[in-house]
Amino acid sequence: MATVSLHSLVKRYGNVPVVHGIDLAVADREFIALVGPSGCGKSTTLRMIAGLEDISGGEIRIGGRKVNDLPPRSRNISMVFQSYALYPHMTVAENMGFSLKIAGKPQGEIETRVAEAAKTLGLEELLERRPSQLSGGQRQRVAMGRAIVRNPEVFLFDEPLSNLDAKLRTQMRIEIKKLHAKVNSTVIYVTHDQVEAMTLADRIVIMRDGHIEQVGTPEDVFRRPATRFVAGFIGSPPMNLEEATVEDGKLVFAGGEALPLPRQFRDKVEAGRKVVFGLRPDDLYPTGHGIHSGEEAEVHEVEQAVMLTEPLGNETLVFTEFAGREWVSRMLNPKPLKPGEKVRLSFDLSQAHLFDAETGTTLRT
Amino acid sequence: MDRNAAHRMKRGLFKATHLILLFLAMAIICLPGLWIVLSSLRPTVEIMAKPPVWIPRQISFDAYVAMFSGVGQGGIPVIDYFTNSLIISVTSTVIALAVGMAGGYAFARYRFAFKSSIFLGFMLTRTVPGIALSLPLFFVYAKLGIIDTHFGLILAYVALNVPFTIWLIDGFFRQVPKDLAEAAQIDGCTRWQAFWQVEFPLARPGIASAGIFAFLISWNEFALASQLTRSTSSKTLPVGLLDYTAEFTIDWRGMCALAVVMIIPALTLTFIVQKHLVSGLTSGAVKG
Amino acid sequence: MKSWRLPAPYLLLLPAFIVLAAVVVVPLLLSLYSSFTPFRLTRPDSIWTFIGLRNYERLFTDWEFWVAFGRTVLLLTVALNLEMVLGLGLAVLVEKATRGQRLLRTIMMFPMMFSPVLVGFQFKFMFNDNIGLINNALQGLGLTDQAIPWLIDGTLAFIAILTAEIWSSTAVFAIFILAGLMAMPKEPVEAARVDGCTPWQTFRFVTWPYLMPFAFIAMTIRSLDIARAYDIVKIMTDGGPAKRTEILWTLIARTGYSDARMGLANAMAYIAILLSIVFTAMFFRQLAKARAQIAAEW
Repeated sequence: MATVSLHSLVKRYGNVPVVHGIDLAVADREFIALVGPSGCGKSTTLRMIAGLEDISGGEIRIGGRKVNDLPPRSRNISMVFQSYALYPHMTVAENMGFSLKIAGKPQGEIETRVAEAAKTLGLEELLERRPSQLSGGQRQRVAMGRAIVRNPEVFLFDEPLSNLDAKLRTQMRIEIKKLHAKVNSTVIYVTHDQVEAMTLADRIVIMRDGHIEQVGTPEDVFRRPATRFVAGFIGSPPMNLEEATVEDGKLVFAGGEALPLPRQFRDKVEAGRKVVFGLRPDDLYPTGHGIHSGEEAEVHEVEQAVMLTEPLGNETLVFTEFAGREWVSRMLNPKPLKPGEKVRLSFDLSQAHLFDAETGTTLRT
Repeated sequence: MDRNAAHRMKRGLFKATHLILLFLAMAIICLPGLWIVLSSLRPTVEIMAKPPVWIPRQISFDAYVAMFSGVGQGGIPVIDYFTNSLIISVTSTVIALAVGMAGGYAFARYRFAFKSSIFLGFMLTRTVPGIALSLPLFFVYAKLGIIDTHFGLILAYVALNVPFTIWLIDGFFRQVPKDLAEAAQIDGCTRWQAFWQVEFPLARPGIASAGIFAFLISWNEFALASQLTRSTSSKTLPVGLLDYTAEFTIDWRGMCALAVVMIIPALTLTFIVQKHLVSGLTSGAVKG
Repeated sequence: MKSWRLPAPYLLLLPAFIVLAAVVVVPLLLSLYSSFTPFRLTRPDSIWTFIGLRNYERLFTDWEFWVAFGRTVLLLTVALNLEMVLGLGLAVLVEKATRGQRLLRTIMMFPMMFSPVLVGFQFKFMFNDNIGLINNALQGLGLTDQAIPWLIDGTLAFIAILTAEIWSSTAVFAIFILAGLMAMPKEPVEAARVDGCTPWQTFRFVTWPYLMPFAFIAMTIRSLDIARAYDIVKIMTDGGPAKRTEILWTLIARTGYSDARMGLANAMAYIAILLSIVFTAMFFRQLAKARAQIAAEW
């Protein structure tokens, strides 16, 4: 088991930088998720850790040992690919035992370890099949089995669940979590699916355009997004974000509508400052239908016409127009609403976020 | 008339035309070959007969017997030619495959400067007409003293086949997902091991058909062979075919028999790989 | 510190470079040089006499050469176009067959296995004015009462050569177009039929645009070994009778080997090589476009 650390890690293709000197320290046995939109450099970073991409600058250490120029096989890692990358000409057992065979382990040991891993993953029945005879979920399991058998210091996952259907994905997510609890090794998990990241990871790394935007626990990145980008990326439906100007204890939007400046920001922003106001749909609700936010709730009510509703059963998403844009609010214990109907909306300003309009960084310190 | 019935009839007519055309096309494709086989099995008198004899009255293997009975008895050194052809084709194919595998792998797996120009350059060497190439080669080979040797022709055929084997093998390696080689490297393979353990076994059928393609090209080549060979020590079958022609006469029957001898190995090999050949050509060319 | 090594891809390409340089590039440079000399095989010293562009000047005013050149271009243009049309027809026929498609495909490839020399002999045999299958059949059916001098008359010989060439190479087109037909999704054709297209319109506006890239791939592959036609012509007529079917390649062989005028022959060869390169480059350009189209649509 090992720590992984990246120091000013850079990747360039020709002269085009795709990873701009990132720093990250992953603790032993930690489960880290790298998330971000496609093209943000998360997969490239993972592949550099794996040794599948050359490093243009900086340093990677695994277990304290510098591995920059080591080939993948000398890094004591294993990886689950998005495409699973099962060897089509080998049976499931051969696929799982391949790394041990290459390492020159005796046949008996290979069989025991493959059988062990197969039992963990419920693959005992399938050992003699070939990958083409397996379903998507089974292939996924074999890919994980192949990774476990090696008993590596670090597990790397590259969007392992993105080729599965929604139901199977939820199921495999739970299995990965159980697996991590059992094997107890360091995991670096790349995904574009924030739900996977939130549910699995100890800490989440949010990347954009080759930079790290924020590193933090799921709680951190959800409750205390460091930047406007993180605020918009994490959470579904996404946070309502709108530019405003601070004026005399108020936030004034472009159309002239105003909200009181939330209490927690009163000493932190001066009048005339351009900011971005953010409020999660959970904290914006038809009055009487929200999460009870306790005593510190600072509710501001506005009456608006309903544009559209999306009933989801236990809750309904209500879309209204305010300050020239569409705002999403979440109505718990839903009651039927018709488009055009007037509704009183509660803005729970104690949960609001403010970001600098220029830099996008949070104004909460 | 009922419009449905009219359409039904039209469809029936369409189907009949299709079958007739298909039959005609296949007949035109097969007929020349069959005619050669037939002619090799009938006596010369029947071939020359006027008015023509359509259905052979007797079948004889005289032509084949004569062919193998050696020089002087109406035969030609067919065994020598066959051996030469075999040695030259097999050796040049094996070498071309080795060179082509290295090159094809480079094109399929690496990015490097001038990649497409190099590829085009390789292909352009293939467009040089054999006869145009034979002029300087004849001169160079004469200086080096390798005219009329196996080595000379093998060398020429390797060069002839390398561009095409590279193209085909490139296509087959592309079909093997890059992930697999990467997974193998993570599983502890060196790049070399990853190639032999994973990529090579998966591309093997394709490589085999590239090999057979190269073999056929060497087996059938004429323009270079006709200039770079002189005697039984290196003459190949296509050149040997000319032994049946004299200034004004041609021994049609003997030639047909030799043609059959030539075509049988080619036919067999092609049947074995035809499926891979087509998929290889298309995938290599389409997705390149 | 890592010591500098040739990067892997270049290392892998090195054997190919060496072989092609040794057997193709260097000899061609040599022949380029000798095309500026009056080199004759019979007088080896003549290779040291430099005469500049005189060989080329001579060729440019040589009527016989340009007739052969024109005939070659004509042969290739007619042959390639007919092969494409016939290959398309053949592919459609085979694709429409409901049974025995595998067998039909195999038969379709049959001519590809024939050595061009063999094709030459085979058709020389069939077009023989006295004992050939074609004349026998025509006379037997009563379509003509005298022997048609297929390989003696210039135009007829051209047709005979064309037939042999087409017979041997149509398969290349058929294979690729068939591959295209089989890879083609059914929905666009069905949509066109529902939209009221006649079968011809469906083919013209839906199927053919889709198949075009495949046809160009076949064209490119064909253009790579287009000079194989030399073998066929060499055997069937050897440019004769009286040079009425002389093409570039037979002319080169005659000038270089029979007349032993290597310098002049090399000059011709260079023009022939340029012709081949132009043909190939043209199709490679089309191929690149076709690939882009396929990539965009798949």
